[in-house]
Amino acid sequence: MKTAILCFLLAVATGRVALAGPCSGIETELAQVSVKLAHDAVEAAEQQLDPISQSHPDCPAVLLAQARVEAARGQDSKAAAGFERYLLSQPEDANGYAYFARFLLDRNQYQRADDMSSMAMAKDPNAAPALAVRGQILDMKGSPQQGMDLLSRACQLDPEDIRAQFDLGSMDDRAKRPADAVTHFRKVVAIDPGDPRAWDYLALNLEPLGDIDGAREAYAKGLAVNQQGPHFDAFLDYNYGRLLMKLNRLDDSKIHLDRAVELVPQMRATWYERAKLDLRLKDYPRARTDAEQAAAIPDPNGLIIDLQIYALLEQVYRRLGEAELAAKYAELGRQTPPPVRGEHH
Amino acid sequence: MNPIRRMTSLLLLTLLSTSPLLSAAPSQIHFENRQKQSGVSFVLNNGTTEDKPIIDSVLGGVALLDYDNDGYLDIFFTNGAQIPSLGKDSSAFYNRLYHNNHDGTFTDVTARAGVRGEGYSMGVAVGDYDNDGWDDIYVTGVNRNILYHNNGNGTFSDVTARAAVAGTSGGKKQLSVSAAWLDYDNDGYLDLFVTNYLDWTAENSKVCGAPGKRLSCPPSLYGGEASILYHNNGDGTFTDVSTATGIGAQIGKGMGVAIADYDGDGWMDIFVANDNERNFLFRNRSGKGFDEVGIESLVAYTEDGVPVSSMGVDFRDWNNDGRPSLFVTALGGETFPLYRNEGNGLFSIDTYPAGTGFATFRMSGWGAGIVDFDNDGYKDLFSANSHVSANADIDPQQHYLQANAVFRNLGNGTFTDVSAQAGAAMQAHAAHRGCAFGDLNNDGKTDVVVSTIGSPAELLYNTSTDKNHWILIQTVGVKSNRDGIGTRIKVTGESGQVQYNHVTTAGSYASSSDKRVHFGLGADTSIKEIELLWPSGTVQTLRDVKADQVLKIVEK
Repeated sequence: MKTAILCFLLAVATGRVALAGPCSGIETELAQVSVKLAHDAVEAAEQQLDPISQSHPDCPAVLLAQARVEAARGQDSKAAAGFERYLLSQPEDANGYAYFARFLLDRNQYQRADDMSSMAMAKDPNAAPALAVRGQILDMKGSPQQGMDLLSRACQLDPEDIRAQFDLGSMDDRAKRPADAVTHFRKVVAIDPGDPRAWDYLALNLEPLGDIDGAREAYAKGLAVNQQGPHFDAFLDYNYGRLLMKLNRLDDSKIHLDRAVELVPQMRATWYERAKLDLRLKDYPRARTDAEQAAAIPDPNGLIIDLQIYALLEQVYRRLGEAELAAKYAELGRQTPPPVRGEHH
Repeated sequence: MNPIRRMTSLLLLTLLSTSPLLSAAPSQIHFENRQKQSGVSFVLNNGTTEDKPIIDSVLGGVALLDYDNDGYLDIFFTNGAQIPSLGKDSSAFYNRLYHNNHDGTFTDVTARAGVRGEGYSMGVAVGDYDNDGWDDIYVTGVNRNILYHNNGNGTFSDVTARAAVAGTSGGKKQLSVSAAWLDYDNDGYLDLFVTNYLDWTAENSKVCGAPGKRLSCPPSLYGGEASILYHNNGDGTFTDVSTATGIGAQIGKGMGVAIADYDGDGWMDIFVANDNERNFLFRNRSGKGFDEVGIESLVAYTEDGVPVSSMGVDFRDWNNDGRPSLFVTALGGETFPLYRNEGNGLFSIDTYPAGTGFATFRMSGWGAGIVDFDNDGYKDLFSANSHVSANADIDPQQHYLQANAVFRNLGNGTFTDVSAQAGAAMQAHAAHRGCAFGDLNNDGKTDVVVSTIGSPAELLYNTSTDKNHWILIQTVGVKSNRDGIGTRIKVTGESGQVQYNHVTTAGSYASSSDKRVHFGLGADTSIKEIELLWPSGTVQTLRDVKADQVLKIVEK
């Protein structure tokens, strides 16, 4: 069984063509490197890659793996050159295009990433890396269902691809399918417990499922690794602070929401949430400061809409006895239509 | 025992002996569905079509009333109709009245009583509008609202036209959902408040979702409607005073309605649960009109400052501080807001502080009640649950059929979800809608009757395992309206425990509950004092009243 998986991973990592003579004898190592890269274990991948790149300098799969390592290390120009060299030598390999597309996507080069991912799919529509990156691009292009279908296939073909699992989980999160999202983020944190973003998403999706203890634990694990790895999550404190407020642990909530305001002061949501906590704590002067700060920050993404700000300010001013200001925001609230709810479904 | 431990024990002992209800027997809220043996075969029929028009999901009123004054609650159900004709083309669409035979069974007396109805019915409100001592019935609906006058001989007469309460505004019939009887101007006659939903007609009906997988469209696709307030002229007729009182100026998407004198000024106020619009709280200006103060009172939105799909509501004092508070049901993903009356004109949003937020986030609720089910002196919460859309399960994470829920009041401002322990009846998944609360067998425990789309109504008899005491108070107004609706009742048990409630049949979703006012008394076998503040302003006090009885109190 293990051998079968390794063979499969090898195929995924290198493509058929790359297995020609120059790579003989290092198939297992190459597969392991690919798995490590998929698990975001860059240092370990690099350590394993170094000796085989010296012993097999003509192996195209080594070249591809090196480019992926360089991409992960942030050595962009070296990585780009490596991907291009690889594709020149292996123009039929879907995975080469897919990894290059991923690299480009991560550098916000959307058009090239789009082209490259299309090419990957054209070369092999069943290649997991191609499906994963194309799925994400289709989602970004406004075809979430198609994107999700491709990502689902990618995750079925290669359940250990934590990037694909993460992306699919994020889409489930956005589509308010918490049970599915939890499945994917559990896989991510099982492989890479050092990714605080995945813990954050996991916690956020455990909450609506009613697994509050699980959510609390996930936040705690996320916070424990938040300063350690490459994926710092500035919203962990915000989300955990919100949960703690719902759990009526107001003092603990304050610690995290204070930190959230420090970490992301440019976000309306952090000030808004802390103002709500201030109200719970009956600290009305601070509620006023925070609410007014929230009101001063535009929120183009609509995370906290104006109606929420009006309701908050109305309450703050009313509790402070500022009748005129309270009346002003009550009136603004009356004039503001509610957010449109989707179909009841 | 070391000194610190001994002191702690002494302190505990002192607390136990002085804390009023702590000696009450441990209780477990429990319900048993006795529909099968009851003879009540009513099935709510929404007449739905392939396109799932929005009206097919929002019906289902229940009333518990004693229409023949035999001392036992009878049951009335509203029912749907064919779509798009909106006619009750077959007996499967008739509204139904069941007479209580006093032995756990009921007899369908719809035909004899003459209350099978017309049109697509939604809700029901019961009140003795002409003060003749017989409960009258008002039925709301899409194309027909009907006022039935109780003739006192087991029959009813449709007096809608004469009374002028057809639910029209500007000549157009409104889509009415709920209604409430209240004497808003304290003139001794019950007035009628009607919530209207939105401007749906068979012609402008919207279609949502894919063919074969249609979903109930969101209310945002339709314009809202104002509620209607009818003033009782005292001669069997009513006058539409919606405009004169300010009610007509507030456009919403009214579903549930509940009444209470929230500010203690002696005038009944009105709360309207609006679907995905801010809720309304109509503060009564001494019978001369109403100010809509939902935003100012902090009951318009959730703690997140957005409206929810408010459906059902109850308005009673759940923390025994003498101030009526609110419990509202809504859709899954929104929570069921709990608004605690602070007594200063403001409400605090206690959904999460009271411990109901996480549990209700996963429920969609219709009927709602603040009722002491285990007679421990603290009112609990009940919600009748189901998703809106019959095809909701297309998404595997949504469920159309849901179990009802009951939350036990822990007496410290918090509640705990005890549904899972409340018996098999509370695990039944169905398309629950409206529900009414009342003591069907006069055993002192409040029962619940729930209407469900496509399956038999549930008769949830309260079989809670406590040995607590109780009293049911039936008010008879003399200067005040005959039902005594609006009377505030303060009960002080022999232990000193004080509780409050008020007379109303309104609340829940599209439904009408027992007008008798129930109090759980815990271990108290007698009541030190019952104080009634009648709508007329009369204050009446009774002392040293025995527990465990249905007590009729006539206004003096």
